[in-house]
Amino acid sequence: MRRLEVDGIPAVLAPVSGPAHAGLVFRVGTADEPLARRGITRLAARLVTDGGGGSVGPEHTYFHVRGSAAEIVAYLAGVCEALRNPPMDRLAAVRDPARTERDPLPMWRHGARGPGVASYPEWGLPGLGDDELRKWIARYFTRENAALWLAGEEVPEGLALDLPTGERQSAPAVGTTLPVTPAWFAGAAADVVAWDTVVRRGPHAAVFANVLERRMLHEMSDVTRRVHTEYAIRSDGTARIVATADALPEKADAALGGLIDVLAGLRAGRVAPDEVAAVVKLTCAGLRESESRGARLPGQAFNLLAGREVQTLEEALAEVRAVTVTDVVVVAAEAYDAGLLMTPPGGTAGWAGYTAAPAMSPAVLPGRTHHGRGNRRLRLISGDDGVSVAGPDVVASVRWDSCAALLAWPDGARHLIGDDAVVARIEPTLFRGADRVVREADARVPQRLRIEMPPRDRDRIPRPEPARGSTGGWWPLVAAVVFGVLAAFFAGGGVWLLGQLLTGGGGPGSSTAENALVVASALLFGGFFGRLAVTRFRERFAR
Amino acid sequence: MIGSTDVVLDRAAAYPEIAGLRTALRRADWPACRALIDQLEPSARSGALLDCGDEKDIEGFLRGVLAADPADPAATALLGHHLIKVGWQIRTGYTAEHVSRGQFRQFHEWLRKAELLLIDGAARHPKDPAIWTARLLTARGLQLGLAETRRRLDRALAAHPDHLPAQFQFLQSACPKWSGTWELVHGFARDAAAAAPPGSPHAVLIVYAHLEHMFGDDETDVLRYLANDAIRAEIYEAAHRSVWHPEFRRGYGWLQALNAFAMIFTMLDDRRSAATTFTALGDLAAEYPWNRVGADVQAQVREARAWAYEGAS
Repeated sequence: MRRLEVDGIPAVLAPVSGPAHAGLVFRVGTADEPLARRGITRLAARLVTDGGGGSVGPEHTYFHVRGSAAEIVAYLAGVCEALRNPPMDRLAAVRDPARTERDPLPMWRHGARGPGVASYPEWGLPGLGDDELRKWIARYFTRENAALWLAGEEVPEGLALDLPTGERQSAPAVGTTLPVTPAWFAGAAADVVAWDTVVRRGPHAAVFANVLERRMLHEMSDVTRRVHTEYAIRSDGTARIVATADALPEKADAALGGLIDVLAGLRAGRVAPDEVAAVVKLTCAGLRESESRGARLPGQAFNLLAGREVQTLEEALAEVRAVTVTDVVVVAAEAYDAGLLMTPPGGTAGWAGYTAAPAMSPAVLPGRTHHGRGNRRLRLISGDDGVSVAGPDVVASVRWDSCAALLAWPDGARHLIGDDAVVARIEPTLFRGADRVVREADARVPQRLRIEMPPRDRDRIPRPEPARGSTGGWWPLVAAVVFGVLAAFFAGGGVWLLGQLLTGGGGPGSSTAENALVVASALLFGGFFGRLAVTRFRERFAR
Repeated sequence: MIGSTDVVLDRAAAYPEIAGLRTALRRADWPACRALIDQLEPSARSGALLDCGDEKDIEGFLRGVLAADPADPAATALLGHHLIKVGWQIRTGYTAEHVSRGQFRQFHEWLRKAELLLIDGAARHPKDPAIWTARLLTARGLQLGLAETRRRLDRALAAHPDHLPAQFQFLQSACPKWSGTWELVHGFARDAAAAAPPGSPHAVLIVYAHLEHMFGDDETDVLRYLANDAIRAEIYEAAHRSVWHPEFRRGYGWLQALNAFAMIFTMLDDRRSAATTFTALGDLAAEYPWNRVGADVQAQVREARAWAYEGAS
């Protein structure tokens, strides 16, 4: 493995057994994307490869080519030329929706920013303007923000990387929205159990991830059809380990219990020396095989971008071989403590000592209250700090100053997504006078955070539901009728008395003043009960 | 023995190790407890740890034992059972709709305490069937699902084949009252009985399944149920495979087996069989399954026994 430079771009070269290949890496990925621009990196990569792609990860994007020296030279020259002068006329042709499955765990751990953005759909992509895309490319796809790997005997003849100049973009800071770990949340995918953690990167962690997968294979084979772990390094010196288990039909709760036990077993230090030895052996074999294919090169290019030195195969092997049982046990405890567990839908993990990841806001923000139509327990509150939507046992608050995106529908609905991934749904059909909050949200949230959504089907627009127990059923109607009768009695009596007085028939009182008082109070009571009757009637038929 | 009106429901009378363990527990002498526990075969060990869980005020003592040695599997299982029993006493054994929300919360709180301890115990000792048996009880109370309950049974059976204390627990979880089905209950009981060696008490699971079915299903007419020839034949075959088998021994499960057969023979109106079973029991009996009929187990046993002996004499 050789370190070199090509046109001022740090590069690493290593011979391979199969066909030559090369990759041009940039330090940009989904973690850099604001939620409202989710997908912009993928779109840029497609644009400069004429729909071919490029590979977009959380922190890195690379353009990979396999072939003869001439093919490699031509492909990379084409990519560089397109990055220098993006072919905007091709934008419509390459703008297509993402087809990959989204991983929900990052959102629960990181909220709606940084690595968490990867959990969201590319809502903003259809409305993305040329200008923004141009700026994105100019900022991230530059010579200073690139590295190159070459898998082959030598640098292909004529290789030139004519990239615009710019600045090295450091990886975005990684925040967490989890106040307590280990934590859990209920996923949406039936029969899937998943877990992830963040630990210090290194051979110990990589070996632990493989021990975990092996343990899952051994101890969960009777309840799952597939188990899998992944180890992904990050620029900040940490690594994310993900474990996924696809349960057999109707075995989801057992897959959850099985995974909880596997993790507890490793945390308790039940790791056998021969188990670690077997995994170390396999990991080394994997490294050798990767080396021969040039599959270690992308990671080395990432290292160069992070300012780290490249690591030879021998160095990597030596590190892995040095991993001991104690090392694995230490990582296991660290991994357990930082864990985030996704249960099957409707499941919980509170019984196993995991804390529920926050799914709502701790408090309602101060402001003006709009009550729900047909359900007074539902409240929409708008104030100087932000918007809250509150109902029995639920609070969703998004502050104006920590709003990640505003989804705007033509029917007037606005969903504010907070940096912590909490969503405050302003639905004009559900709240009285919500139009005012919609106008406030439109004015308060900067244009760059706004995402125009396509029209919703009628059945996707929520309709008010009366609160259970309080205003549902026939009670409001009964009340309306009772109040109506009372209103008719008092008002009718008042009018009759007034008529009597005016025609000189006399009243029950001894003086005109007393009679006038009786008339006034009768009309007042009549009006009062009439109002009550109308309110109850409205509540009953608000739907 | 005929003519005795005593009904002894204390497990310790049938299983002397329980008496010894209780005494050692009351002396707070853990080495003595371990010496007793460690010499038991796995089923008797699980059974004793489960039964001694209802000893009063042992939490502090056992926490102390575990503080000195967090890995002690017997202390883990025993404390687990104790915490479960405390929780279950709060729930009082009523059906779900008669338990208040507060009671449920406390019940779950105790079970969670037990489960956390037992998760760690199973993590350290995945081959300890007593810990898995206790985790079958927490799975049921915390409603962790039938598949998870089954997984725990499978772990217990992998640790010790035909582990009867775990099978007793699973049979309960497989009932419709805990989201199982009657097919599952009967199928499980038959398979478990068939898998166990002849002369072992496991065929009692078949009797338990029928008794649960009769008393746990409002639709079932007990008389018509027991008039079914296939069911009667299955019960007698189960007796031949267990309590009437020449290899039947007084190991773990003998009391539960004879007791359940005494009850079902009484219900089948088979005086002779009931009498021989009661004779084998002496004055011993077990609360379950008599308590599925009514709270006064002593009176029921006394009456059934008198009826059986009356015909035999």
